[in-house]
Parts: sequence; structure tokens; C-alpha cells
Amino acid sequence: MSRSAIGQLLYALAAAVLVALAATVKTDGYVANILMQADTYAIAVFGLSIVLGLCGQINLAQAAFFAVGAYSVALGTVDYHIPFWLCLIGGMALAFTAGAALGLTTLRLGGHYLAMVTISFQQILTVVLLNAIGFTHGPDGVSSIPRPTGFTSGQAFLALVVAILAISGYFVWRLADTRLGRAMRAVRDNELAASANGIDVFRTKLIAFALAALLGGLGGGLFAGGFSYISPDQFAFADSIVLLTMALLGGAASPVGSAIGTGLLILIPEWLRFLKSVPGLYLAVYGLAVILIVIFMPDGIWGYVSKLFRAREREPLKCAEPLALRPVDSGATIALEVTGLSKNFGGLKAVDEVDLQVRRGGVHALIGPNGSGKTTTLNVVTGLYRATAGAIFVDGVDVTALPAHKRTVAGLARTFQNIRLFRSMTALENVVVGAERDGNALVAGGRDALWRRARAALDFVGLGHRANETVPSFSYGHQRLIEIARALAANPTVLLLDEPAAGLNMSEKKALHGLLGRIAAQGLTILLIDHDMTLIAGAARHVTVLNFGRRIADGETADVLRQPDVAAAYLGVSE
Amino acid sequence: MTLLEVKDLSVAYGEIKALRGVSFTIDEGAVIALLGSNGAGKSTTLRAISGLVGPSAGSIMFDGKPIAGLSPRTIAKLGVAHAPEGRRVFPGLTVRENIMLGASNRNASSAAIRREADAMLDVFPGIRPFANALGWTLSGGQQQMVAVARGLMAKPRLLLLDEPSLGLAPVVMQEVFRIIAEIHNRGTAVLLVEQNAHMALKVASWGYVLETGRLALGGDPATLWSDERIRDAYLGGEQAKATT
Amino acid sequence: MDFFLQLLFTGLGIGAVYALVALGFVLIFRATSVVNFAQGEFSMVAAYLMVVFAVDLGWPYWLAFLISIGGMALLGAIFNLTVYYPLRNRSFLPVLISTIGASIFLSNSVLALYGPQPQVLPGWLSTLGFQLGPVYLDSQYLIIIGVTLALVAFQYWLFERTLIGKKLQATSQDKEMATLLGIPVVGMIMITFVYSAVLGGIAGILVAPVLFVSIQMGSTIALKAFAATIIGGFGDVAGAILGGFAIGVIETFGAAYISVPFKDAFAFLVLILFLIVRPQGIFGERVAEKA
Repeated sequence: MSRSAIGQLLYALAAAVLVALAATVKTDGYVANILMQADTYAIAVFGLSIVLGLCGQINLAQAAFFAVGAYSVALGTVDYHIPFWLCLIGGMALAFTAGAALGLTTLRLGGHYLAMVTISFQQILTVVLLNAIGFTHGPDGVSSIPRPTGFTSGQAFLALVVAILAISGYFVWRLADTRLGRAMRAVRDNELAASANGIDVFRTKLIAFALAALLGGLGGGLFAGGFSYISPDQFAFADSIVLLTMALLGGAASPVGSAIGTGLLILIPEWLRFLKSVPGLYLAVYGLAVILIVIFMPDGIWGYVSKLFRAREREPLKCAEPLALRPVDSGATIALEVTGLSKNFGGLKAVDEVDLQVRRGGVHALIGPNGSGKTTTLNVVTGLYRATAGAIFVDGVDVTALPAHKRTVAGLARTFQNIRLFRSMTALENVVVGAERDGNALVAGGRDALWRRARAALDFVGLGHRANETVPSFSYGHQRLIEIARALAANPTVLLLDEPAAGLNMSEKKALHGLLGRIAAQGLTILLIDHDMTLIAGAARHVTVLNFGRRIADGETADVLRQPDVAAAYLGVSE
Repeated sequence: MTLLEVKDLSVAYGEIKALRGVSFTIDEGAVIALLGSNGAGKSTTLRAISGLVGPSAGSIMFDGKPIAGLSPRTIAKLGVAHAPEGRRVFPGLTVRENIMLGASNRNASSAAIRREADAMLDVFPGIRPFANALGWTLSGGQQQMVAVARGLMAKPRLLLLDEPSLGLAPVVMQEVFRIIAEIHNRGTAVLLVEQNAHMALKVASWGYVLETGRLALGGDPATLWSDERIRDAYLGGEQAKATT
Repeated sequence: MDFFLQLLFTGLGIGAVYALVALGFVLIFRATSVVNFAQGEFSMVAAYLMVVFAVDLGWPYWLAFLISIGGMALLGAIFNLTVYYPLRNRSFLPVLISTIGASIFLSNSVLALYGPQPQVLPGWLSTLGFQLGPVYLDSQYLIIIGVTLALVAFQYWLFERTLIGKKLQATSQDKEMATLLGIPVVGMIMITFVYSAVLGGIAGILVAPVLFVSIQMGSTIALKAFAATIIGGFGDVAGAILGGFAIGVIETFGAAYISVPFKDAFAFLVLILFLIVRPQGIFGERVAEKA
């Protein structure tokens, strides 16, 4: 049985044991309350671990979603006599929608602005809870919240909560390893690279927000049932901060971390009960804890611990078949065509009516002195920038209006000048992200086919034996290779390489030259930007030269490099 | 009189070796050209001298004093001014204010600095009409003038100029290089980093060519320019032969 | 019409406070790219310091003021060293969270030390105000507006007329270049934090006689000041000041014509809409989008 399956079985067993304990072991009211609070909070913190830990998006409104769930259950059962389960599901749906609405703002905003929006949402909800007295009961809160039939005793309800906790924990745990989870982690690590590898960044963030809110609502609904009484002051901005601290302390990126953080931050103050006797001291310590954790333990306790685990060898994968590169071939001779491409930044014409035709199968180089517009051209072709004018055709298809992540589907793949790998992932996971882009026909066989292809791509660049190591353990030159493997795994029509030789030493450049040859031999088309003329002259059959954003030469490499105006562009005007 | 002595200088960014054992000297008042294609290590050399990046090996002596690894502020106070690539004019400040800030490495009164800035504007008649214009409104060539004027305000013994011709039209470039010649006449040493080898060798008294972090060539401008190997350094091996 | 003028006066008065806090925000942001979520707490702490010295200890108002402002300068320096400096090379998220932590720490430390009861701080002048035509000019509001205008003038003079102001601006615009010229960047950032803390402190001391001195006063003011910087264009000094006045006026009119308890929710809704529709604000150029 695979390690993953063993792990899941153990998880199920442990969960079953915990549920059984919760159902049978008698605890006094005080301890039961602690456990109830810890468990319901943990579910909400699991939600944070999705949006903040996995996806890297700031969300300071988790207590608001908690409130949505809690109030849905409370008002629904007490005021409208709707059955508990319906209210709970309804609350989760409401929270999900609210989370999605909040996530919509990420289309335009990130960073501080996003934080502001989430805080504003939290504050609006607090004001509504306090003041819409006719609806929410205002500061008095809602009491006598019933529990569902069959779980009316404190003990039974606690067991229910533990079971739901285990299920949501399982869901969050497995999420990291799914396509969606990988997309979230890619967005967190490097948005630009995620987009260039076919991931719809906005949609991913949106889903992250919605899922986080869903779990927040679930936790809140159970909280209402558990304590039978809720009031607005339990769901304020300070509580969002408490949830955030729990996520950060344990390690935001995993449910284990969330559980640890929640447990510690609820249990510790109970052991240090005196902290609660002085109003404000408890939260003051929280505030200090947040600062210290951020400075000294940015990955949280579990993050720190799991890094030690990572050092252990994972099982080696079986050898895969050789990498298949079958670029789509419509028969057209020109794989990539650019006509009249211009890109202006304010008044600066970075790219000025450039025409480019890259013949299918072979290596074409784009060169020019510093500042000539090569990288900008590449960025416009791959969709990072919008073209000011002109058109881009991949295999005859007009992609000019497509967003970056859709150009991958159209057959473009690229590497970046400053290597953009997903640093928290292993080499293999990085390549898998490339392979699982939409519409990749060569991974149609399901999960196994996907991982085999990724392994094959790594073998192709010579790094298959180190597939399970994380990115930081690779040298710069090898990281370059992983990036190329990631691009190849997507089975592109045209591979665009932005200064692949930068920072490589002589032997690494020789190896790169050989790799380019092997890629081209499989029928792929390569467009290459670089400054190393020896590499260019050796590898590229055709070359286009830019200077000041305009094309000044185009043709077979040997001829072009002999042209006087090309030499002049690089060396300066001769008399 | 040797002003700057660089010996076996090596600089690494993480594990990328940008410079590998580079050695050269600059005499008082000389204009030295440091050439090479992109990625050769030219900017890195300047950054190591001005203190923005620390060397991993080797030494840098300025006026007989070791300066490798000192802070940029300290090195600026010693008389080294660095006008980095991209001009880096403060966009929200006026031309005059930019120039005045060039004197930040010295202790002088505001009034004195203002007077010096006005005098400096006379040396650069091309930007005098723009004295009160904000930095971001200027053209590339004008910004380059401001950057050089700002550098000179520090009354440096050595001015490090990084790719002043970048992005400039040939006509504007001529003006910039005329200024460099003028600076030389006033006795300031200049270490000029340029991709545009031809222009640089016209104002320099000596030139070096960097190739992937190593010093490949060195010599007086005429010899260097007619050496075929300089073309190789930029345009690759035997395949590339430029005609003059 | 009389009512309108009265509301306008009050709105400008409270807007002046927001303007000061917003100015502190923007200065720190421009110098360090940090959004300081603890900015409001500077106002709150200063107000409590005034209560301690001027009310509890009974010292003369001007003396208590000087000591409180001195305390704020010290707090700004400590804040720079503990909250910003260790994280200055990290991405924005850790720093943002760290300032949130500082905000919680400051407000709850004051709570723990002083207790939850709101306090009363008397105004500076003993006369409560005087009538000018149809409008009653509350004396504390007059002081607020007066001091704010003086500080704005000082700000202008500092930034536009002094060399150190230029150095501060240069540090905000291009740290590396400033370092190369010999400008002491670390010192400039320290000055920025100290100055912003003092600005926030003055704002808190000015507004305290008009509200109650409470633990929450800081965060309420800060959120509105933040809204002011967004509306004015984040990162723009003039925009922040004008935005502050604008928010004060909008809020006052809103409270009068819309229901009072929901005016806060309304303000936040407007803020969200502004963020979505025109994130660069009225004066700002581009949005600081985070990749």
C-alpha cells in the first residue's frame, strides 16, 4: 500500500478514536466548553489555512463568516423554527457566497487594499449585527439555540463536532495535493509563473476565499449549537485576529498546523487563567505573539517541524517512459507569428512595430543590446502585457486578446529570466503544475499519467533522480532546467526561453546547448532570447535583431551576425 | 598616481559568480572605459566599488585605503560618486533639488549647496531651462544630464558612470560624451561602463573588456578597437566578423 | 442654511483629525511601503497619556502635552525598531500582520494598564465656544482646525523648503539611489516613524475632548483616515489631507441625514466601493497591486 494510503487510513483511525472518546468520556462542563470552542474555532482556522496558508491571500474577516454561520443557525432555529441541519447548510451557503463576493475584489486588488476590503466587510457585519435589532436581536444576542435531534446532549453534540472537524481536516489535508490545491500554492509562490503555466489566478483566489468562508460558516453554525447562546461581541475584528494568530502560530499552510495553533492558543490561556482576569492582558499578549511569530517563526510551529521531516527521503518513483513531445501541428510552416507589434509604456515605445516569424521546428533567436525591447516583446507575446498594437498568431490562431493563462492552452510555454519556480514545492510538483494545464492531451490517463509525464520531463533534463527535492536545494543552473522541464511538460507548440544561459557557467551552457538540440529534434519550435553569442550562433538557425524597440535585422544567423548595422548596434556606430 | 586599485575582485550573487578575479587600476583624473556585452559583469564591478554589493574575494583600494565591504555612505564620503544604470533621477523632485542632493555626502550649508547647484546648471546648459521641472517629466537624455550633474555635486575624485547611453538617441549620446570629456578636463577620474564601445573608446584613455566575469582584454583605445577579439566578446566566436 | 454651515464646521473639525492621522499613514507608506495598521493607536495612546498627566496628576496642560508628544516620539522610534526594522526585507504580508499585532498589543496594553472605563479629557480653553453669526464655533474644534492647518503648513515647509525634507522625499522615492548619494536612509526612516507617531499623537490629543478617551478611539479614527488616503489616492500627501477633510464632512452630513448607528457601516461600504471602482483615488496615479 502506498504511503499516502497508509497515512489516510491512520487518519481515519485516529479520527474514529477521537470521536468515540468524545462520545463516551465524561467531562465536566468547563472542559467540555473548552473543547467545544477549540473544535469549532479549528474548523474556521482550517478555512484560513486554505485562503492564507495555501493561497497566500490575506483575509481578516474570518470571524465575520463564522458569524454568518452562527447567526444563520441561531436565527433560523429560534426565530423561524427551521430545522438545525437546514440552517447549518443555509449558513454555509450564505458564507460561501459572501466569501466569493469578497474574493471578487481580488480581480482588481491585492495586498493592503485587499486587507482593507476584508476589514471593512468585517466591520460592516459587526455594525449590522449590533444595530439591526429587529432581525439580529442586537447586543442581547440569541439564546436557547436548539441542537439537532439525536445530538441534544452536550456529549453527543461534541462527538458530532469532532467528527465534522475530522472530515473537514481531511478535506483540507488532501486539498493541497489536488490540482486546485497545487494551483493555489502556485499562486501563493509566484503569481506570474502560475499564470504563465495555465492557471487562472483570479478564479483560484476566488475559490480560495469561498472555501475559507464556507468552513468559517460551518464552524460558526456548530459554535451556535454548541453554546446555545451567541452575541455580536463574539464575532468582532479582534476575533478575526485571534483566528489569524492561531493559523500563523501553528503554521498557516496545513491543517495540522491549524489544529496545533488553535489548540495551543485556547489551552494555554486556560492554564494561564490569570491572563483573563485583567481585561486586555489576554489580547495584549496575543498582539505581541503575532509580532513575534511573524518575525521569528514565519512558517509557524508545524511549518518548522515539517521542514525537518522533509529532509527524510521519500520513496523513489519508478522510472517512466521517455518524454513525449508532440506539438500540435496544423501544417503551417510558421509556428509563431507577430505582426506590427507595439508596446508603449506611457510615452516610451518599448516595442515599435516589430514583425517576427518563427518557423516551425528549430531554434530562432531574438537578440539585441540592453534595452532593445526583447524581453518586453516576449512578455507581450506570452500575455504578461497587453499589446498596444499589432497581433500575435500561434500556429495560425490569433491569441492577441487571450489572457496569459489561456495562451498556454494555445500552445505557448515559457521560462523566465529570473527563474520563477514555486519554491515551496518539489521539483516534481513544479513540473506537474506545468503538465496539468488545460487541454494537455498527453496526460489524459488521469493522475498516474500526469505524474509519469512530469517524471519523464525531469528525466529529459537530467534531474529525474532528484524529483522529490524542494526547489531551494537545487543549484541555479539546475533550477533553470526544472523550469524548462515544467514548460516541456505542458507539451507546447512554441517554447519561449528568456535568457536561459544567464548565470550559467561554461559546462552548464554546453549542456543547455545539447538540451536545446534534443528539444528541437522532437519537432518543437523554440524562440530564444540571450546575450551569449556563442550559444546563439551555435544553437539558433535564424535570428532577429532588435534595437531601440525596432527590428533591424532578420535572417540566418551567420549572415545576420556579419551585418555591419548589427555590429554597430552592439558596439556603437563606426565612422 | 593610482587612485583606484582593484585586485582579484570576485563578486557572487548567491551562487551566480558575476565577477571572477578581476584586476585593474585607475589613475587620478583618467577616463577608463569598461566594456562588454550584457551580463559580462560591468555593473557589478561598479556596485562593488560603490559598496552596494560586497565582494566574495579580492580587494579594492581607493587612495590607498581599503574600501571593499564598506557601506555606500562611507564610500560616498571618501569621494566616490556612482551614477547607476537607468539614471535614477528622483521623479518627484525638481532638477535643481536632484542636483542639490548630490552634495549629501558633504557637510555644507543649504545656501552653499544651492549656490553650487546653480553653478552646476551653468555647466549643463541643456537642462538649465528645466531647473524647476519634476524629474519624471524629463526625457532620457535630460535625465542623464541631471544624473551626471548630481554625481559631480559630490565633488568626487572618482565618478562611476553606468551605461549613460542606454536608451538614448545617437544625437543625445554625443552630448553626454562631450560632458564626460569635460569632466575629465576638470580633473575627476571617470570609470565609464558602456555597451557602446565605440563612443566610450573615443573619450577614454584606456579600456578594458569584460567577458562573463573575467577581464578578457585591456589596452589603449585605438589598439582595442581594431582588435578583432573585441567583436568576439560582443558577437560570439569565429562566426561573427563585423566589417568596419 | 444655518444647519448646513454648522454641519460643515463640525465636519471640517473632525476631518482635520482624520487628515492628520492620514498624513502620518501616507508618510510611513511612502518611506517604507508599509501600511501601518497601528497608526490609530498612536492617537489613542497619546490621549491616554494626556489623561494621566493633565487629569490624574493635574499637571499644567502645556506640560502634559509636551510630555505626551515626547512619549509618542519615543513610541514611534521603538515601533520602527521592533515592528518594521526586523521585517524590512520581507514581503508586505508579514509586515502588515505585524502592524496589526502591534495595534492589538497597544490597545490592549492600555486597557490592561488603565481599565475599560472611557475617560474624559477637557479641552485646552476654558471657554466652550462662541457664536459667529448663525454658527456656533466650538472652541476645541477651532483649535483642531487651527493646529491642523499649522501642521499642514509646517509639513509643506519641511518638504518643500528644507534640505532634510528633500532627503526624506528622496528616501521615499528611491532608497538605493539615496544611499548612493550619502543620504542616511535608516535615519530618514526613523525620522518618518517618529514624526508620524507625533502627528498621530497630536491628532488624538486634539480630538479627545470632543469624544471620550477610549480604547477603541484609535481604530475608529484609523479606519476612517485610511479611507481618506484611499479616496485621496494612496500615497499622495495632498490627497490624504484633502481626503481626511472630505471624510469628516461626508460622515457628519451622513450622520445627520442618514441614521446614526448605521453611518459607520455606510462609510465602510463607500470605502469598499471606492476600492473596487477607483482604487487609485481621486489624485493617485496607480494602484499598488501586489503580485
